[in-house]
Amino acid sequence: KKWAATRPKLSAIRLALQNFDINYSVQFDSLWPSIRISLLSEQKYGALFNNFSNIQQVTQELEHLNAVDFIWESQKVVQDLASTAAQQASEPAMLTGTLAVSAEPQLQPLPCLSTLISPNIKCYTFPKGDLSLFPPARPDTLGILGYYLLDAASVLPVLALNVQPGDLVLDLCAAPGGKTLALLQTGCCRELAANDISASRTGRLNRVLRSYVPQNICDILRITSWDGRKWRDLEANTYDRVLVDVPCTNDRHSVLEEDNNMFKNMRKGERQMLPMLQLELLVSAILSAKPGGEVVYSTCSLSQLQNEYVVERAVELLKIQYNIEVHVEDLSIFRRLFQGTFSFFPNCRLGELVLPHLTANFGPMYFCKLRRLE
Amino acid sequence: TVTSSPAEQQRPANLSYLKLGKVLDSFLDMGFSHAEIKALFSVQPKLLSHARLALVSELLLLGLSTDAILKALQKSPELLRMSPNHLKDRADLLRKLSFKEGSLNHMAIHCPSIFTLPQSRIEAVKNLLTEKCLFSTQQLSKILRTCPNVLLEDLDHLEYKFQFVYFRMGIKHREIVNSAFFQKSLAEIKNRHIFLERLGLYQTPDKKGQTQIVNPKLKSLIRASETDFVTKIACSSVEEYEIFKKLLAREEEPEWNKDGTLKVE
Ligand SMILES: C[S@@+](CC[C@H](N)C(=O)[O-])C[C@H]1O[C@@H](n2cnc3c(N)ncnc32)[C@H](O)[C@@H]1O
Repeated sequence: KKWAATRPKLSAIRLALQNFDINYSVQFDSLWPSIRISLLSEQKYGALFNNFSNIQQVTQELEHLNAVDFIWESQKVVQDLASTAAQQASEPAMLTGTLAVSAEPQLQPLPCLSTLISPNIKCYTFPKGDLSLFPPARPDTLGILGYYLLDAASVLPVLALNVQPGDLVLDLCAAPGGKTLALLQTGCCRELAANDISASRTGRLNRVLRSYVPQNICDILRITSWDGRKWRDLEANTYDRVLVDVPCTNDRHSVLEEDNNMFKNMRKGERQMLPMLQLELLVSAILSAKPGGEVVYSTCSLSQLQNEYVVERAVELLKIQYNIEVHVEDLSIFRRLFQGTFSFFPNCRLGELVLPHLTANFGPMYFCKLRRLE
Repeated sequence: TVTSSPAEQQRPANLSYLKLGKVLDSFLDMGFSHAEIKALFSVQPKLLSHARLALVSELLLLGLSTDAILKALQKSPELLRMSPNHLKDRADLLRKLSFKEGSLNHMAIHCPSIFTLPQSRIEAVKNLLTEKCLFSTQQLSKILRTCPNVLLEDLDHLEYKFQFVYFRMGIKHREIVNSAFFQKSLAEIKNRHIFLERLGLYQTPDKKGQTQIVNPKLKSLIRASETDFVTKIACSSVEEYEIFKKLLAREEEPEWNKDGTLKVE
């Protein structure tokens, strides 16, 4: 009888941890231990509110759990920013530029937060340090589920995409569909193309959407299983908004699950090619966007190599090869808006990164917004 | 030895109901104060006084101090129901396990049930620690002296605790004994060890006993106060440690994720 013998640690998990210990202790320095323990401990979830379900009932249910919609909460931050701006009446230009603060901000519930982030998305979370769990969503009388459980940080790239009414939207790597569902919640997409190279995964995406979205809404949706890298040849210069949520080392998964782990020996080649694949997908995404269109690149990895470097390389490459100018947008406002819910890394050169932290164990989630210039 | 004031020498009226002048004198002779005697008699008050006297004398003969005797009896009143012979046998056994007078006192105060436990129980613990866990006889006696609580623990639990520190933490017998490891509860040890392990500050040694980082010593790991542990050894925050403990407790509940709450992409 040996109960407490060394935990059987299989090789991929151990390899992932070794790799992270080496790279991330350099990248994050003294922050790394607290990120590490968070990756290895129970993750927190958010409940993406389904606007197509029985809204009243679901709202009641979630509020009964004492969960709060973190996006709605952030408007308090906006109001604070606005009132400080109003006080500093002498130089109001500072904040009005980004937030379009009106003269009486308090009277408006959401003072133009909607010019900043995709509208109508609600995501409930438990406050920092609160470890409550969401029960599984139940189907309503029409069989529609009231909320979708996901890493709340994965709503941020969708918010950053800032979808506006009438937009043509592409979700280039969509399966299993958490972000696609969030995009649909905006009610803004004229058309939404959801693509994923894996047919089995688009099958799953289909099933997810069927339990959340009524048939008539699905009409604006087109689901495909193509290689996203080829999209630029299929539909160049087409979309107002493109989300490219690329495959990555999936850091949290890699330190916890042996199954489907990127650090398996036989996937070494695939892993080494990831930044390349990510770059090609991002370039393809930008080329599929209209001039003036906006693209959000996201990963659930902490790796600079898969995050900032890919963005930088893409900007360079588009300039050199296609003579296309891309502007990397400043998303620091996200840090200010949502710091009450997430722990952000303060030192990203480009984009924003949500760091897992025991008090707010979401992420990792990197997101960066690029605008294709006219 | 008790220095008693003249006032105490006078028999207090409220003890007169005991009508046991001789017994009382014997207790006074043994060095108990009036107050102590009163306390002594309030343990198992229905017990016949000569039985009480016999047992207390026996304990005194084992080398226990009056103070230790009183504390032991208060903590474990059933001691008074033992036969003096049983007590003698038990003392012999404990001496064989190399308990000396000082450590007997300590034992009487901290784990009086050592005297009342069935012999088979003591032997079972001894066998577990020496035969299954391979502690030497000397180490066994040190464990019993420093961590008498092992005698009261569930045997499976005790074995698990040993396996945890030996296999999972990779600590050798000597260090386990010297750190008084068995005093600590398994839950607390796990909390601290797994906290450090996930922070990347503790590694299970490989087959050759090697690690890539220097692990903190077991003694400092389990002896440090909670704040010292968190801030000095783990270099973390109390807030994070509190949350971690709750999460770990939830992980250790075998069924916690079967309720579907984690059915997430
Ligand atoms: C991080 S996941 C996307 C998660 C999804 N956006 C969500 O929120 O649920 C990355 C996806 O990219 C897909 N993928 C990998 N290579 C691709 C390619 N060349 N073109 C399109 N999709 C690809 C994978 O099948 C995987 O489903």
